[in-house]
Amino acid sequence: MFPYDEASWSAVDGAMFMGWGGSLPGIATLIAAVICVAVLVIGQRSETAKAKAFDK
Amino acid sequence: MEEQLAELAAKVAELEAASGGGAVTNTMFAETFYYLTIPLMIIIHAGFLAYEMGASRLKNVLSSGVKNILAFAFMIPTFYLFGWWVYFGFPTGIPGAAGPMGISGVEYANSIALGWGESAQYMGPNIADNISGVFFGAFALFAATTASIMSGAVIERIQTVGFIILAVVLGSFAWVVAAAWGWHADGWLVTQWGVHDFGAAGLVHAVAGFFALGVLINLGPRIGKFNADGTANHIPGHNMPLTVVGLMLIIVGFFGFLMACVVPPGEAWSWFPDKFATIYGTPITLSSLAFNILMAVAGGVIGSWLFTRDPFWMMSGALAGIISTASGLDIYFPALAFVIAFSAGLILKPCADWLENRGIDDAVGAVTVHGTIGLYGVIMLGIWGSGYPSLQGAAGEVPTISLIGQIVGAAVFFLLGFVPGYVVSLILKMAGMLRIREGAELAGMDLVKVPAAGYPEWGGDAPVTPAHPAE
Repeated sequence: MFPYDEASWSAVDGAMFMGWGGSLPGIATLIAAVICVAVLVIGQRSETAKAKAFDK
Repeated sequence: MEEQLAELAAKVAELEAASGGGAVTNTMFAETFYYLTIPLMIIIHAGFLAYEMGASRLKNVLSSGVKNILAFAFMIPTFYLFGWWVYFGFPTGIPGAAGPMGISGVEYANSIALGWGESAQYMGPNIADNISGVFFGAFALFAATTASIMSGAVIERIQTVGFIILAVVLGSFAWVVAAAWGWHADGWLVTQWGVHDFGAAGLVHAVAGFFALGVLINLGPRIGKFNADGTANHIPGHNMPLTVVGLMLIIVGFFGFLMACVVPPGEAWSWFPDKFATIYGTPITLSSLAFNILMAVAGGVIGSWLFTRDPFWMMSGALAGIISTASGLDIYFPALAFVIAFSAGLILKPCADWLENRGIDDAVGAVTVHGTIGLYGVIMLGIWGSGYPSLQGAAGEVPTISLIGQIVGAAVFFLLGFVPGYVVSLILKMAGMLRIREGAELAGMDLVKVPAAGYPEWGGDAPVTPAHPAE
């Protein structure tokens, strides 16, 4: 996962995170965004369902 | 010609002065940098104090606080007396030979980390040494953090002196050995296995968490925690808001904790004259920490909220988020840190329930949050960070991060926590120094241990959570 051809810190002159220059950062960003939306959807559904239990 | 030479000499003198000034500025920056991490890390202890007292029942609130305050107080002198020496003495293992970096081994430790003889010049005020004190201070606060982690797990039934003995063994010895082995450029886990644990997920959190587990096995559950059929009862603390705010304070303090894991330029142990490094000499920026810590906190909270909706577990999830990514906060991509932290938030409560179903009464979930998630974080870095040089240098010259190496590190951290915790607490149990007497536990530890009342206006009418749910 080292983002430079040569696995050496002396080769690092900029971004040094995992997957830099590859698809991992984009995929991780997409997954993070999907998680945020999905959790909100699930949260809304379950809260609504629980709230309905208190309807008179 | 002479005039030009004089001008040139003046210019050289000016440049030399500027260069010297830069070095002084760097030294003062490094000194200030570490100094500021100390009060920030004390906020962790303010947080643990609030968190533990909130998680205690009314009858135990002050005794939980006293225990936590004393752990902090005893950690500092014992770390001064021998913890600091252990860190420098044994990175290469036993018997404490010198390592290749020239900053380890018993002989080196004897020369800089003892409070007597020639070495004492580095253990007290010294106009020629701006760094030793602040570096010591930051490490002493790491030590105190380990004690606080264990402290929460054992509330409401442990004896004060027995607890302090355990805290000293953990904070001034067990985790220090882990740090020497896995958090030092000469540490054998680093040089032989490529272990990388930048933010101490394993060597602080997992060691402390599993030390607590060893203690809990001998200490036993609080009266009323488990029914005859083995099912568990929830024993609510007296003040959930205090606990939640305490957890948030711990998050604040962790910015200082992780800042103290960075080696700035300008001090005797600096790797570079002009940039930050990790303790392994690999590059890092504070921006890396800002990105990844914040994303990890968010991921942990969201993951915990999804399953629990409980503010206690949500804020524990924030901690779990940081701990699960701590090993690689220097090199994770922020969105990846978020995803890993989210997964830690998801597994947090099920892991705590699993432990509880095996008869372990961990009052605040410390074994899971710090122990289990700490090891999870160490291993996650092995999965995602394989191939990174573990130390300053190039692969081949220095070891690289690998899944096997991180698993070995995780196993060592587990043992360095669990074994001393279990053995010392067993000895204390045999000596009658571990658990408070049953009558005192039922009456409330504040009545026995503290000549003050947490909420005096409530007097005898205070609503008391029963020691046993059946009462």
